[in-house]
Amino acid sequence: MIVARDLKKAYGEHVVLDGLSFDIPAGQRVALIGLNGAGKTTLLRCLLGLVAFDGVLTIDGLEACRSHEGSEARRRIGYVPQRIPAFDLTVSEFVELMTGVRGLEADSLLGVLDDLGLSMAQVADKYMSSLSGGMLQKLLLALALGSEASILLLDEPTASLDPSARRDFFAGVARAPEDTTVLFASHRFEEIEQLADRVLLLHQGRLAFDGSVADLWTLAGATDLEIQAVRSSAWRADTQERLLARAIAAADPAPCDCAGMGGC
Amino acid sequence: MGAARYLVQRELRGAVRGYWFLAYSGVLILGGLVLVSIGGASGDILGHRGYARALAGLAHLGLVVVPLMALFPAATALAGDRESGALDYLLAQPITRSQLYTGKWLGVTTAVLASLALAYGLFGSVAVLRGVGPELVLALFGATVLLAVAFVSLGLLISAVSTSAHRAISIAVAAWLFLLALGSLGVMGAFVRWQLPRGALVVWSFLNPIEACRLAIVPLLDPDVGLLGPVSADLVARIGTPGLVALAAASLMAWSLVAALAGRRLFRSAGS
Repeated sequence: MIVARDLKKAYGEHVVLDGLSFDIPAGQRVALIGLNGAGKTTLLRCLLGLVAFDGVLTIDGLEACRSHEGSEARRRIGYVPQRIPAFDLTVSEFVELMTGVRGLEADSLLGVLDDLGLSMAQVADKYMSSLSGGMLQKLLLALALGSEASILLLDEPTASLDPSARRDFFAGVARAPEDTTVLFASHRFEEIEQLADRVLLLHQGRLAFDGSVADLWTLAGATDLEIQAVRSSAWRADTQERLLARAIAAADPAPCDCAGMGGC
Repeated sequence: MGAARYLVQRELRGAVRGYWFLAYSGVLILGGLVLVSIGGASGDILGHRGYARALAGLAHLGLVVVPLMALFPAATALAGDRESGALDYLLAQPITRSQLYTGKWLGVTTAVLASLALAYGLFGSVAVLRGVGPELVLALFGATVLLAVAFVSLGLLISAVSTSAHRAISIAVAAWLFLLALGSLGVMGAFVRWQLPRGALVVWSFLNPIEACRLAIVPLLDPDVGLLGPVSADLVARIGTPGLVALAAASLMAWSLVAALAGRRLFRSAGS
């Protein structure tokens, strides 16, 4: 279970998280949405103990910010970042390193990799830099799924992938055991509808909305046409951002500086 | 300790793959070959002392090259990972910042020492075969190892506070030039120019790791300490050669310890 109470984070004068409070029970699949700079990535970085913050943030009762407790908390977390880390290693060396620091056997990952359509026999000796973005994201997902983690943190993992690779990735995420908590940041409603049973909408570091996708449509006053547009393969960023801006405006009476979003 | 093993392994792979390991070993081997050939020529006249002088030349080459070969990989170890996103990904795993820092330190140190062992092993063997005492070769290697470890610690400290590999390398080169330039010649010039007290020269000599290493090496190679300079020679007269060598070694160890602890503390506080 993830618990946040009055979570605050600022970089100098710039407030990124402004008193966030929420509970995420085990097994829930939660989408983090919001405009750029809303605080989605910062929230995930707080959970990973990568940045310091004020307030309370616990993972199964373990405080994320404490050195040793945080380390123990991260044992429960499988993480897929938006930006693929560059390691000057072959795939087998990378897998050996990442499973090694978790105290796992590299072989334990073979089945997961196969399930995701990534054959270790074919890629083991290849340098990571020679793999496509889709293959690398699958590799990171395999590490997250195979790490015996009970929580998956995904930070816009498909942002740079083509539609086919995105589908494959989320099909992989859907394979996670039912009791796995999934918290993922995304800009794409098609992914959110497919995977999430709860949506947290962040705006200017505050929780502007907490509910189901259907409730979000209602809040945004979305028409059937708009919903179809964001669900379709001909995904339209402008429609999605307009819906998001309308939801923010409806949820948060504070002035919204979403210029150009068409909804504020 | 389990996680550290894998972090060390990664650094070793990176060292070999990045070619710096082989490049620096190559410089030391090449320089050493030249010096041994010179030593061989004078060996006809001076006997094993000719090879001892060749070793002295190698040791002085090491005073210039070893700090660089330790600084570069250490300075880029954390800063490079920070730039590439690898650092955040590693820290998102169940390891603490201290464990990661220690793993990096051990990995870079092992790679640098392996490179040194390769070069010194080669010359040491030749010198011992030509009659130089193995204890002298080992003592020289030991002093060079202490120098290398001190600069690995300094490099990692620089890396802990640098936002990019480029910046870390720039700071490392500046630090190397500063310590090298303020070695014996620079300090002597400054002290003559400003008439600083003798005690200040002694203190500076032990505060500068390159100078401290030189103070450890020269008495081993030149029993009449003519190369040390008047102040250090005076120090030898007071505390003896073993005392001087012990003091210099203690200075290098203190450098390693202080820089490593400071770097680890700064790296830990970066996440708090």
